[in-house]
Amino acid sequence: MRRVQFEIVLGTILVFLSTAIIIYLGFKEENRLEEYKAEQVAEQIEFGAAVFEANCTRCHGSRAQGIAGLAPCLRCEELFTTRLDDVGWEGDLQSYIISVVSVGRQVSTRPQLYVGGGTPAMPTWSEKYNGPLRDDQIRAVAAYIMNFEPYALGEVPTPEPLFGLVDESDPLSRGRAYMAQYGCTGCHAISGFSQGDVGPVLDGIATRAETRIEGYTAEEYIHESIIKPYAYIVEGYQSGVDEAGNPISAMPNTFSEEIPEDQLNDIIAFLMTLTEE
Amino acid sequence: MLNSIRQRLNIPPREEWRDRINEMIDTRVRAIMAGLSLKELRAIARGDPPTERPNPRYKVHTSSFWAHIRPRYYLEGMTWFTHTFRLGWFTMFFFALEVITGLILMVYYIPHPDQAYQSILEIESNVFFGKLFRDAHRLGAEAMLIFTVLHMLRTYFTGSYKAGRSFTWLTGVILLGITAWLSFSGYLLPWDQLAYWAVTVGTSITESGPVVGPAVNILMRGGVDIAANGLLRFYLQHVVLFPLLAIVFISVHYYKVSREHGISLPAKVEENALPEEEIKEANRRIDLIPDLLSHELFLVALGIFIVIFLVGFNFYGAPLETHANPQATPLDTKAPWYFWWLQGMLKIDPATILENLLARIGVNVQLGEILNSKFIMGLIIPPILVFILVAIPYIDRNPNRMARKRPFAIVWGVAWVFVLIALSYMGLPQFGIETPAATRIIQDLAPEEGLGELRAIPFEELQQGIYTVGEIAAGDDLCGRDFSYYPKDDANLVVGCPHLNSVFFEYQERLLKAEEEGALPGMSAVMVVEDWQPDVKKVTLSIDWLEGQEEKNYEKHYFLHQDRPRSE
Repeated sequence: MRRVQFEIVLGTILVFLSTAIIIYLGFKEENRLEEYKAEQVAEQIEFGAAVFEANCTRCHGSRAQGIAGLAPCLRCEELFTTRLDDVGWEGDLQSYIISVVSVGRQVSTRPQLYVGGGTPAMPTWSEKYNGPLRDDQIRAVAAYIMNFEPYALGEVPTPEPLFGLVDESDPLSRGRAYMAQYGCTGCHAISGFSQGDVGPVLDGIATRAETRIEGYTAEEYIHESIIKPYAYIVEGYQSGVDEAGNPISAMPNTFSEEIPEDQLNDIIAFLMTLTEE
Repeated sequence: MLNSIRQRLNIPPREEWRDRINEMIDTRVRAIMAGLSLKELRAIARGDPPTERPNPRYKVHTSSFWAHIRPRYYLEGMTWFTHTFRLGWFTMFFFALEVITGLILMVYYIPHPDQAYQSILEIESNVFFGKLFRDAHRLGAEAMLIFTVLHMLRTYFTGSYKAGRSFTWLTGVILLGITAWLSFSGYLLPWDQLAYWAVTVGTSITESGPVVGPAVNILMRGGVDIAANGLLRFYLQHVVLFPLLAIVFISVHYYKVSREHGISLPAKVEENALPEEEIKEANRRIDLIPDLLSHELFLVALGIFIVIFLVGFNFYGAPLETHANPQATPLDTKAPWYFWWLQGMLKIDPATILENLLARIGVNVQLGEILNSKFIMGLIIPPILVFILVAIPYIDRNPNRMARKRPFAIVWGVAWVFVLIALSYMGLPQFGIETPAATRIIQDLAPEEGLGELRAIPFEELQQGIYTVGEIAAGDDLCGRDFSYYPKDDANLVVGCPHLNSVFFEYQERLLKAEEEGALPGMSAVMVVEDWQPDVKKVTLSIDWLEGQEEKNYEKHYFLHQDRPRSE
């Protein structure tokens, strides 16, 4: 066979093969598209979880369980059932979450539940309004929160959290974990640990606490500050006055009911390690 | 009566109809086919000799634009496969592939940072054959560059740039630059981490230039950082400016080859180093129509088949990393492979080398300020290299083309190939950059980008637990021997957690080894798997160690969804 003839035969076969591959792939393409869609949604949820972990846990809790007095639970039934009616949102939940995260909230819709009467409430997150997050990150966070639905509605039983990196035998390590759990870190900054900027910085608190109120040891002062924040208010952190004219602290006064005594002691033990250099 | 109507309407008798219709068809065919008749086309397809005189197959070259850019004939020696390997031809083939696939991708792509990445996701998951086109476009881009370089090397080693071909060589060097820039400008468009950082690093080279350097950098980036303006500039370069430049220079380059000097004859033919018989054969004319044309059609069929095969069966896929994030520099930044040599060069610090050399002869100077490595290696050396490349036909005055008569040029060429390979190797992120042990170990198991072993663990095996390094004996099963599951799309029962085990034991082994070697003294580490959402697990890798008296910690969290891809 001459080269030209060979090439014509082989070329024709190749054209048929290419066509056959395209037809074969064409039949599978719809499935592939769906598979890719599912994978992209999965990766978006993973990404949202990471963004949530880095930005939202300080106020909404490490597992979006919310922190009393600070920020609401995002894995609870209420968000998935009655919330939209309560606020009068016409769209779906996902768009509601995206909107709230993007613009934030200047005033809480439930001021009685939160620190300082709910002002300021949620910060602004979208880059468009000078926040730190891109729109795709916010969409991913919304997808992640939406993915709590089966837990929230009780379709899947919520598993007991595994307290991962806390050394249970060490009170300091426990104290640190409780600080995060009860949301202390949402408002107070401790170098290397938290960045909150609502309440006073806690670096060196163990040294300063001794000098605050005469006759109080540092432990006693810290203890009182947590359970009765109105008793002594550091200058600049008063949020107003109550009906009787007594000053109110910006810090919620609900911790006496929320934090059991043994956990409170662990928190104090941890704070006592924050001495001035 | 019928006849009278015929006469009145001037309708010819029935016998003439056939001839008239044939003539009409023939006229139309000739008009479209630039003078080739139906009969002639049939003869071409059958491989028969021309049906008319003068040969209508040559006339096409003056009457048709598309045929006029093609040669009338090549000599047989020019078409020997082992002489050209069809490298230039395939470069052009891939350019055409890029234009076609690129036009389709342009329909769906949005050149704005807010939407670019999303539009790529849409192309892959919402456009019928979208991924096929994206993969083919990316494959074509890399192939075009490879073939350009190979074509250039072939031209160099066969001495085909000599004797009246120096201008063609110059246009070839320009085309190399255009091709590389087409590829690089396309790199930014997906707006993922890979794109963003490769282009940020690439454009930053210009910043170190004298006087106008910072201005050029801002001009290219469209601002201090690459953002909406920068993306738009790169997009327009990629889809308008450089394709047009490429078409202009390809035309010039090809016209010279096809109409002026032809493809070079093999050196042994040109310099009569073959028996007379073979020389005579090599000088035989091969016409474009039909011989070369049929061969080219075959190559088109072959090329398309290879592309469809590689892309369709996932032997090649275009990568897509996570969304570009100007705040997070990836751990292992990597330029596209065709710029590894440049990245390798940038790692050479001429100031230090010179300081050391001068110190040997007793001169102690600090040159770091003056001899900035980015400036020297990124802005001074590459233009010199380009200049040498352009000047090759003028430097090399040796008229001989046979390899053994120009040993110096051959050695010089081979040496450069090795230098580029060595520089490319130096450009790899593994070379000359030290990553802290804890970071390296975690990065290897679960890289910032791409899959890695950790993310490939099947969802079923991610059993909640705290697995402490040093407490689990090799050979134990993390999930216990009682645990078993059926993987998706597989009927074979898996007992225990082989994938989870393999990741944990690698983690444990490398950490213990690092502790032994002194990289992580007083190391303690865990791997924690937590149930996070009904279809999401959280995996935490955390390493503590001591640096002097100070406690150090490196910790990473991974969220793994049931439906995530678990293979690449």
